[in-house]
Amino acid sequence: MGFSEPKEAKAEEEQLVKDLQAGKTESFERLATLFQKKIYALSFNLTRNAMDSEDVTQEVLLTLFKKIHTFQGKSAFSSWVYRITLNATYMKLRSRKKDQSISIEELLPSFNGSGFQQEKIQDWSENTESLLFDNETRETIQKAVDLLPDKEKVVFLLRDVEGLSTEKVSEILELTIPAVKSRLHRARLFLRKKLTNYFEEYKVRKETK
Amino acid sequence: MICCKECLELLHDYLEGTLKPETSDSLEEHFEDCPPCIAFVNTYKSTSHLCKTTLSSTEIPEIVKERLKEFVEKNKSG
Repeated sequence: MGFSEPKEAKAEEEQLVKDLQAGKTESFERLATLFQKKIYALSFNLTRNAMDSEDVTQEVLLTLFKKIHTFQGKSAFSSWVYRITLNATYMKLRSRKKDQSISIEELLPSFNGSGFQQEKIQDWSENTESLLFDNETRETIQKAVDLLPDKEKVVFLLRDVEGLSTEKVSEILELTIPAVKSRLHRARLFLRKKLTNYFEEYKVRKETK
Repeated sequence: MICCKECLELLHDYLEGTLKPETSDSLEEHFEDCPPCIAFVNTYKSTSHLCKTTLSSTEIPEIVKERLKEFVEKNKSG
C-alpha cells in the first residue's frame, strides 16, 4: 500500500493529501500508516542501521506534516515522499561518512578482442531458492548491496527492490531514463558478479565437506 | 553475428521487452549457440530476484512502530 498504485489506493492518497492541506490533521495518521514502512525500509536498506532509520522515518513524517502545503502535485505524492526520505537518509549517512564502496568497473564482465565472454560462467540460478532461508546468503546479499556506489545503489533499491517503474525512478531522482537504465544495469552486473563468487565458493565448500 | 559483449549491453532492454524485434531476434539467435550467455542471463535475472526477496522483507520492529505511533499522535495535536 501507499507506494503500490492500484487506482483506489491512489485516490485515497490524493484525498488524504488534500485533507491534510486543508488542515484536517487526522489524515496525517492515516498517511503515516500508509507510508512509514516504505520510508523505514528504504532508509534501512541504505544505512543498515535501525536507529538511523527510525530517526529518518520520524523526520520524514514530520516533514510531511509540516511541509504538506509546499507539495504542489507536480509529481506523484509518493515521489515527493521518496525524495524527502532520500535527502534525510543522505544527511544521516554524511554525518558518519565512510566510503566503503568499491570500484564497480572491476566487477563488470570481461570480453576478449572479438567480444566474447572470457570467464567460465556458472549457472547458479536454479539452486538459489532454498538458500534464501540461509542467514549467510541473506547477509552476503545485504553486504553486496551495501558495497554498491551510492548512485547505483539508490537506483537499484527503488527499481528492483521497491519495484517502481523506470519513469518513476527518473522522476524521483531527476535523472534521464537512459541514466536510470544504465545505473540499474551496472548495479545488477556488479551484484551478479558478487553473488556468483559467493555461490561458487559455497558450492566448493559443500562438495569438500 | 552479434557478440556476447553487445548482447550483455542490451540485456536490460531485452528483458524489459523494449528492443526492436529484429534486435531482440539477433540476441536470441546468439543465445541459442552460447551457453555462457544463457547462464549469464539466468543469473542476471536471479540476482534481481534474490536481492528483492531479501531486502524487501525489511519490517519496522514492533517497538519502533509503537514509538512512531506515539510520535504521530504527539505531533498531530501539536
